[in-house]
Amino acid sequence: MNDAVVTSGRRRLYRTAVAAFAFAVAGGLAAAVGYATESTDELLGLGLAVALTGIGVGLVAWAKFLDLDEHVAQRRDRLATTPVEQDELDAEIDSTIELFGRRRLLLGLSAAAILSMVIGFVGPLGSLGPKPRGERRRTSWRAGARLVTADGAPIEASAQPFGELVTVFPDGAVGLDDSQVIVMKVPPAQLTARTAAGATADGWVAYSKICTHAGCSVGLLGVDTRPPETLTQLVCPCHQSVFDPLDGARPVGGPATRSLPQLGLDVDAAGFLIATGDFDRPVGPLAWDEA
Amino acid sequence: MRRRGVVARYVDSLQSRVGGGSFVGKVLHKVFPNHFSFLWGEVALYSFVVLVLTGIYLTLFFEGSQQPVVYDGSHEPLQGVEVSSAYESVLRLSFDVKGGLLIRQMHHWAALIFVGAVALHLARVYFTGAFRRPRELNWVIGYGLLLLALAAGLTGYSLPDDLLSGTGLRIIHAVILAIPFVGERLTYLLFGGEWPGTDIIGRLYPIHILVIPALIALLVGGHLALVWRQKHTQFPGPGRTEDNVVGERVWPSFAMKSIGLLFLVAGVVTALGALFHVNAVWLYGPYDTAAATSFSQPDWYIGFLEGSLRLFPPWELRVGRLMINNVVFSGVLIPGLIFGALAVVPWIERRLTGDDAEHHLLDRPRDAPGRTALGVASITFVAVLFLGGSQDVIAGTLNISIGRITALLQIAALVAPPVAYVVTRWACRELAGRAGPERTERAGVITRDAGGGYQGADADDDAPVEAAQR
Repeated sequence: MNDAVVTSGRRRLYRTAVAAFAFAVAGGLAAAVGYATESTDELLGLGLAVALTGIGVGLVAWAKFLDLDEHVAQRRDRLATTPVEQDELDAEIDSTIELFGRRRLLLGLSAAAILSMVIGFVGPLGSLGPKPRGERRRTSWRAGARLVTADGAPIEASAQPFGELVTVFPDGAVGLDDSQVIVMKVPPAQLTARTAAGATADGWVAYSKICTHAGCSVGLLGVDTRPPETLTQLVCPCHQSVFDPLDGARPVGGPATRSLPQLGLDVDAAGFLIATGDFDRPVGPLAWDEA
Repeated sequence: MRRRGVVARYVDSLQSRVGGGSFVGKVLHKVFPNHFSFLWGEVALYSFVVLVLTGIYLTLFFEGSQQPVVYDGSHEPLQGVEVSSAYESVLRLSFDVKGGLLIRQMHHWAALIFVGAVALHLARVYFTGAFRRPRELNWVIGYGLLLLALAAGLTGYSLPDDLLSGTGLRIIHAVILAIPFVGERLTYLLFGGEWPGTDIIGRLYPIHILVIPALIALLVGGHLALVWRQKHTQFPGPGRTEDNVVGERVWPSFAMKSIGLLFLVAGVVTALGALFHVNAVWLYGPYDTAAATSFSQPDWYIGFLEGSLRLFPPWELRVGRLMINNVVFSGVLIPGLIFGALAVVPWIERRLTGDDAEHHLLDRPRDAPGRTALGVASITFVAVLFLGGSQDVIAGTLNISIGRITALLQIAALVAPPVAYVVTRWACRELAGRAGPERTERAGVITRDAGGGYQGADADDDAPVEAAQR
């Protein structure tokens, strides 16, 4: 290449490429040093980033330095087949149809054989999971089961209102997903009649913690004490469904359409909260025939 | 005859055995047109390369199992906590494997960029009409790649078994469960029984590291082969016609720049992985089915699906014993409509315009007002859903009630797309009527050298000369 025609722009590109590759060398070495001496990944990562970016910039600058920003025109051949080729193809297809079409029985049977073979392989796919047998409609709650926290501690009915939600499980099934329940204590007068009917004890109410919309855990209790009335709401943090715990946890906002199933409560001889039985309907989101 | 170099001798040796010399020549001289918007596909491909390489490293440490173990690694807040093997292995990789956190974060950043580049590439192809005959098939392949990219992201996001990923899986479970007739059976097959079971992580793992990447590689191969066979589209310009391709030859300029881009993408991903925490699963904690956290957000590309679930009003349909659940509408039908329409874009356009001719020259978006307006309206709809996916964060930031933001976005989802359609179509027509920016081409300049001879060279970039406007 003749030096005289090397413009200042190209000289700059040359210098850029040289500098970029030099940085890349330094970056790779810095990464190696970083790995050997540092306890964190920062220097390692930055060194590698410099090495990779340096190579990238170097290559692009090199390509531009070679001054290959060219405009070459290439002919675009028609993709469609010529009439002659089309005729040959048609003839080939015709003869194939004739060749195989004569033996209808063989054709039909071979297709049936392949189909039945495929059906045969559906069985093993079914082994991926058992048939649903109504497990989803039952939980571990039984009449007399004590409500215990994740630590296994039972709830004293005489305890003062917590002012917050407590997550409980049936005694002996702590952590079991479908049995998670939220329990809270409110002045009994605040509860609507249908909420209180046989299902509360000393102002305690308990609901399934699984959101009826998409199954997240309804973990937020919002209390708004601003006049005119105190609002108490359960909120699901995933899709912002809102339930009213004073009125059977019916949905009052967000996408949920069904209330949270309520757990009937009672107090045992020792003064601890117990369940009066399982939920009266499936918990969480439902399949098409479970409503 | 002069002695041939070592490279040439190896080339000779290979050619004498497998032939193909003329093919290689054709490959090296293939012409590719240049435009910045053509780079998105390359960026997607190269982030996939980064994903595969970093992903292989991750598989050497990750345990795809929900077996409970007690964490005893060096991250103190979680010591003594019972977690799944999967979660434990991710913590070990992040805290006790030197370089592990870097590679893990590179993998996650590359995934975010991968889906983004695929989306931008798709937008480019749509708005310039590159999907028209004869490229409908490649549109469908690209569409398949978009679905696979989303599936790869979703399955990968679910693997660490942290609180956010577990919550995400739970929502997916609810959506599948709601599918009429087959939903419950499907969830049992996928999860190996009742939610949550002990199988799902172990099943998503091979799907994420084998099935989906293999399918992506296969479709990428087909995608590129078709680009090769049909040749790249180009924007109209001086000397460019339906019967040619004007641009750079593959070797060396296009190849050098493209390989340079590969390194640049990898460099940016590495810098992000080194400097910015992403998916800090140790902060979320292990998945606990009785816990959920507020302000939880999925990765960006799932945001519009999350928004659909959040914004859809509390409706469900009951016909006798049959119930069409709320999440059937918001989690199945709306995404189904979006992705269904996307799949058949070339045929919708053909039906609307009646144009079935071959097109190798691209439209500027303004030159096809209807198509551009439809695209902008669709993007607007998806963008409203995306905002809906973080409506709690927006409400918290603006200090407005969530209910009000939700109502506002519900209205916007219905009103904004038609408005965007009308405005875009008007803007396109306005712009199309105007003369565009003057097209500039680098003109050849003759330089006189020291010896008195003349030689051609390109002008400096600073001195463009106007060329004929098209």
